[in-house]
Amino acid sequence: MTAVRSREATREFLATGSGKVGTVFFLALVAVSTYVLATYPLDFGVVLWNNPAVWADNPKLAPPAWVNSLSSIKKAEHNIMELRKPEATSTIPGQISLTYTFRFNFEADEPPSFTSFTVFNVTYHRTPVTLTATLTRPDGKKIEIYSFTVPAPRTGENLPVSRYFETPRRIFLSGEDRVVTAASDFLRREYSVSLPGSEILSKGVDRVLFGTPSKGGSFDILKGNYVFTVRTDTGDASDSIGSVKLVVGGRVYGLMGTDSLGRDLAVGLLFGFPVALFIGLSTSILATVLGTLLGIQSGYRGGKTDLTIQRGSDVLANMPLLPILIFLTFIVGQKLWIVMLVLVAFSWPGLAITVRSMVLQMRSGQLVEAAIAIGASPSRIMFRHILPQVAPFVFAQLIFFTPAAILTEAALSFLGLGDPSLPTWGQILELGFRNGAVYVGHWWWVLPPGFLVVFTALTFALLALGLEPLVNPRLRRMK
Amino acid sequence: MGLATSLGLRALTLLGVLIAVLLMVVIALGATGLSDKMLGAIVNDQIRGLRQGLSQTIRDPDELERVLEAQKQQLAEFYGLDKPWYLRLPDTVRRVILLDLGSARSLRSFSGSSQVSDLVLERLPNTIMLVTTATIISTVIGLYAGVKLATKVGSKFDRALSYLSAASNALPTWWMGILLVIAFSFQLRIFPFSGMFGPSPAEALLPRTLDLLWHSILPIATLVAVSVGGWTYVVRTMVLNTAQEDFVTVARAKGLPERVVMSRHIVRVAALPILTNIILGLAGSLGGAILTETVFNWPGMGRLYYDAVIALDETVIIALTFMFTLIYVSARFILEGLYIALDPRVRY
Repeated sequence: MTAVRSREATREFLATGSGKVGTVFFLALVAVSTYVLATYPLDFGVVLWNNPAVWADNPKLAPPAWVNSLSSIKKAEHNIMELRKPEATSTIPGQISLTYTFRFNFEADEPPSFTSFTVFNVTYHRTPVTLTATLTRPDGKKIEIYSFTVPAPRTGENLPVSRYFETPRRIFLSGEDRVVTAASDFLRREYSVSLPGSEILSKGVDRVLFGTPSKGGSFDILKGNYVFTVRTDTGDASDSIGSVKLVVGGRVYGLMGTDSLGRDLAVGLLFGFPVALFIGLSTSILATVLGTLLGIQSGYRGGKTDLTIQRGSDVLANMPLLPILIFLTFIVGQKLWIVMLVLVAFSWPGLAITVRSMVLQMRSGQLVEAAIAIGASPSRIMFRHILPQVAPFVFAQLIFFTPAAILTEAALSFLGLGDPSLPTWGQILELGFRNGAVYVGHWWWVLPPGFLVVFTALTFALLALGLEPLVNPRLRRMK
Repeated sequence: MGLATSLGLRALTLLGVLIAVLLMVVIALGATGLSDKMLGAIVNDQIRGLRQGLSQTIRDPDELERVLEAQKQQLAEFYGLDKPWYLRLPDTVRRVILLDLGSARSLRSFSGSSQVSDLVLERLPNTIMLVTTATIISTVIGLYAGVKLATKVGSKFDRALSYLSAASNALPTWWMGILLVIAFSFQLRIFPFSGMFGPSPAEALLPRTLDLLWHSILPIATLVAVSVGGWTYVVRTMVLNTAQEDFVTVARAKGLPERVVMSRHIVRVAALPILTNIILGLAGSLGGAILTETVFNWPGMGRLYYDAVIALDETVIIALTFMFTLIYVSARFILEGLYIALDPRVRY
């Protein structure tokens, strides 16, 4: 009998447009969350998201890569290349040179946002290693950009010496004085153009490296195949280099772009899915369970229990939620569990009041009377006879309340009171808002997180809308 | 139960709310040691003032230090700093109620005062103006559209609105505000995106009012947009529920025109549950005001909240929490008084 009824109810629920759409959306949310939980570390917020070192090689404030297909100007995509093995080895007496060669194609209409190269784990046995970086351009011209020698052994340090093992040496070419000097020399030598270093720096070094000077003091971008080589001169055959990495910084990045710290927004937004579901569902489940239990107790037992629960829920239901949440998170600490606890504490009263009034009607009904007559205990009556009757209504309330919890957390995060160890959509949006993304047009930083909050909340709102005719038969009769 | 008793009971409950919030605030302050810090800051402030005054009269530095130390002891005793926080509870409650919380750390009022009470009271009217206007507008639209819809149940329009109201339920206030700013301030460049007045506010009344209206359109539109869908839906549902009562069928059977049935038999009865929902929606619009003011840089208490969080200004946050609760409780009391006056059943 119950099976038939629930199957019927499911069919009726799916027959409503909102029920169908809501179910599809919900399954999508669950699928993405499962993927994230399977692939992300749980301490993602601390070890990855809020760790600037992880994002150092990313361009900052880059829009998503797909904007290229909407615009006539093609912007450079981000390009990270890493080599572990040298391409060529040449030996002259007393010196062995390993050459790492990066070949890449550059077809954008604007220079890269930056270029950098990074050296990992250099070990030398006799003399310090010297590295020299050279850029060969599509027009065949060569620029020796940068060269440096790994620091010599310090006093007390014995050979062999290992360097850049824990923190790799990253050379941000676009900001190096020596690169500016090299670019200035290059212009004078090849094009007889003399530009002071300060002017090169203000135009951008990459504009010179990736362009040819044209009339009027500007630069045309030189498109084609570039070769970037790093030659390492070592003094011993057993000297080694872990790896060399070249980054040609994009002006666009990935699926969702980056924020002001170079963080890949797609990664952060994905992590927001399970967090939002967790906040929404666990808060609403706890609040619903608490509200139902207290409501049934209050309605069935009556007397002092009823009075206490009703006064308590009256006071709680009358408190303005957001100011109190702001106060508590500010004073006690920005912890997600505090927010969830407060949300639960403030959300059960509404349900308890409604459930109580439903139970009051049932208490005088024949079902309960019969149960009392055969000697059922009050707790048995409450859980076996009353609970199943209020269950459908309670379930609808659970779904209905879920978006409220998600929205409240997002609102709190938007006010800058989110839990920093757990990145949420609200926090991403807040950082964007605080950095003026709305006013300077960094739309990819504020629109997607807000959209996802709305999408998730809407999913549950649609589910609740689909459940309504099942729970409230009165509405069904009208249609 | 008489009118006075009902009102008295409601007043008691709301007083309970106020006391609960106050206790929570004060206990949180005491248990985290913030209360000691705040009082210590007040004492140090006064000592600094004293030192300047006394250094004119007392020449000997040792003597000066001794006098100041004694003064400090006295002040600490006066403020109860020598007692643990739970013995200071009544005094702290009094301070919060009177907004006598010392000075804000870095925030200043428009007139330059750093007194928390000046800061908060100056912003109060701006918030009340915003919330009241928005609430009135969405109530009127909700009532009108809801009743209209109830007569057209099941139509395409009705179903579309059901979806829209569900959608507006899922629409966060801050998000709506940001969308409006992007669309109307930066794409279309019609409305200003922040503040209450232009860069050089006019002195004369008429242009000043127009400027204010101009700046308040987007924030008010935000508050209305997020609440009006839900309210329309509530009104519609209430009207529908009432429309199924027997007395409505009787009224129709008597041959009364549909317009009269709607206005005298249905809407009048449905008005009470609708009022209940307006009362319940109040908390939402107050929270919405905090977020809307933040987005639009509206110089009300909500924006002050945001600024205080950013500036880590505890005293301002405490004062605002209390003020928001106070406003909320008073508004509820007024509305519930209205409810009791309207509904004879509550009284008898």
